[in-house]
Order: sequence, then structure tokens, then C-alpha cells
Amino acid sequence: MYLITLVLLGSCTAKTDNQQTYSPKFQQYYVQGEVLYIKHCSNCHQLNGKGLGRLYPPVDQSDFMDNNFDDVVCTIKYGKQGLLIVNGIDYNMVMSGNAGLTELEVAEIATYLYNTWSHKKGLVDVKEVTQILSKCNN
Amino acid sequence: MKYMKVIKLNWGLDFSYLMHEAARFFVCPILIGLFLFSCTTKEEKLPIFGQREVVGTDTVYHHIAPFSFVDQDSAIITNDTFSGKIYVADFFFTTCKTICPIMKTQMLRMYEATSEMPDVLILSHTIDPEYDTVALLRDFASRLGVESKRWHFVTGVKDSIYKIAQTSYFATAMEDKTEPDGFIHSGAFLLIDKEQRIRGKYDGTKEEDVNRLIVDIKRLRREIEN
Repeated sequence: MYLITLVLLGSCTAKTDNQQTYSPKFQQYYVQGEVLYIKHCSNCHQLNGKGLGRLYPPVDQSDFMDNNFDDVVCTIKYGKQGLLIVNGIDYNMVMSGNAGLTELEVAEIATYLYNTWSHKKGLVDVKEVTQILSKCNN
Repeated sequence: MKYMKVIKLNWGLDFSYLMHEAARFFVCPILIGLFLFSCTTKEEKLPIFGQREVVGTDTVYHHIAPFSFVDQDSAIITNDTFSGKIYVADFFFTTCKTICPIMKTQMLRMYEATSEMPDVLILSHTIDPEYDTVALLRDFASRLGVESKRWHFVTGVKDSIYKIAQTSYFATAMEDKTEPDGFIHSGAFLLIDKEQRIRGKYDGTKEEDVNRLIVDIKRLRREIEN
């Protein structure tokens, strides 16, 4: 009985990738991120993340997002303009950004974006986002 | 119950039994059906919006005023472009970040739902003609992936656009620097019939309203057929 209890307790405290994904901190970030996404981003990028035609790029299944994490974090706050190629398709509208967002809110949106639909990245911590935002070219 | 027993005893031989069965299975349902069919009301016509005047024996309804704008193909678009057609009108601008993306998503849905209806067109007016040039509208329309012969994006003289929005379509549209996008405008979609009368007003930012628009377009087409 003693051994079984130990084993069970041991498995409860083990830190696996899955454990980190569902930590309370992750859940807080994710849930807030979803609220913020719906409020600030879903107009153009849609609730399902598919974007609209060649006007607004998708945020689900986006090679640009996969390969340009820092740029995406900067974009959430500062917007973007000029030619942008996502999944081989060209976009060229002006995204005005959300300068009023706090660093924590940007981290929450990034956590939501990178852990929904086809993405699964894990928590995007505010400390990491603060560092990235200090280096944006804006 | 006694009645039923009588029938059972005379199974196969009793003519009155056969008559009762026929009544049960055929005549009664037919009679009920006819009764219900005659009781249902004819499909109601869509309302006609705006003021109306009685001139002699005719009623003159509110019409869209004469207009002349330029679309994304540099074609001159007037009321004649829509002669014999039904169309849906709205007011937007390409740099709008608030309600326009939702309106365009919904209008695109309506565009696709009416793709087999060549008599249904769309007329989107820009309320920022200084920024939204013909070239920009062409780029916008092609990025949205729509054909200009069914969906016209027009620009023109700013005052003419604002005036027609307010006085013909009853849709708010004006500049307002205090607004986040710089303009106040309603997200309304107006359904216009072949006589250039307004037959419906829908909130283009609401999916349920646009569902209603699609249903009303089909009603309007049926009304015209009859």
C-alpha cells in the first residue's frame, strides 16, 4: 500500500510537457488571451483564425507565424504594413496595431494564438514578451 | 368500441367496412390537407420603406435618387446599371478596422449564397473617396476575390455619396475625427428592388440579420415572378 501511494504521488508531481500546458498560469493566460483576441483581432482574422481572402492573413496555419515569432509579438502591439507573404499568398493591407495593450495582454494574446487551432507552443510568458517588445523596429 | 367489433366480424365481406377504411386513409387526410392549405396565408410581401405620396390613383414610393459613381473597373455606375435587378447597398471604407471587416465577411457570404442569381448585385460605396481611389478599390475587390460585374465598389464625389447615404438609403455616413476610424457610419445593408425602392434594412455586422437578408432576397425574387 505504502509503495503504491508513493508511486501515485510520484506520478502526480512529475513535470511533463502536458503538465506545463495545463498549469493554472497557462490557463489564465489562455482564457484572457481568447477574450482579447475576440475583442481586438477577430474582426479581421475571424473567430476561426482563417482571415479573409487576400485581405487579412490567417493566424491558423501560417508559415509566417511559425517562423517569425518575435515579429508576430511586435505586430500584435504595433501593427504592420507593406508586403507580407503568408503561405505563398501576398497581403498588403495596413494593420494598425493595438498600442494600448499592456505587455501582459500581448503575452496573453500570443499564448492564445500559439495554442489554438493548429498551433501548440505552450505558455508565452510576459517576461519573454517584454524583452521582444523592447527591440521592435517601430 | 362496439362499432369496431361490428367491423371485425365482417372482415373482407362488409362493403361498409371498406368504405370506412377508405375514408380513414384517403378521404379524411385529403380533406384535412385541403382545409389547411386554404387556411395558410399567401406569402407576405416585403415592406416598402420611406415616405409615400398618393398622386391621382397611384401611390408614389420613396426611390433611390439618381446617382453616378465610378467602380473598381473605372466604369460609370448609375441607377441604370441596376435596371431590372435587385441589389444590396452598403457604405464602408478600406481602412476601416471596426465594423467594416465584419460587414465584408457577411456581404461575401451573401455574395456566395446568391452566386446562381444573376439578377442580384451588390453596390458598396466608399465614404472615404480621398483615400479609396479606383486603383485601391480594384485591389481590395480582387483581394476579396469577387467579380466586379456582380459586386461594384464605387467611389465619387464625397458630398454626393454622403447625401445619397442619408437621404436615399437612410444610412448614416459622415466624417468624424473623434471616432477611432475617423468616420461615423452605420453597418446597414439595404435591400433594393427592381423599382429602386428599399425593401429591407439589415445590420451587416450580425450573422442572423444577414441570414434574414438572404431569405428576403429569395422572397423578393418570388414576388417579382408572380
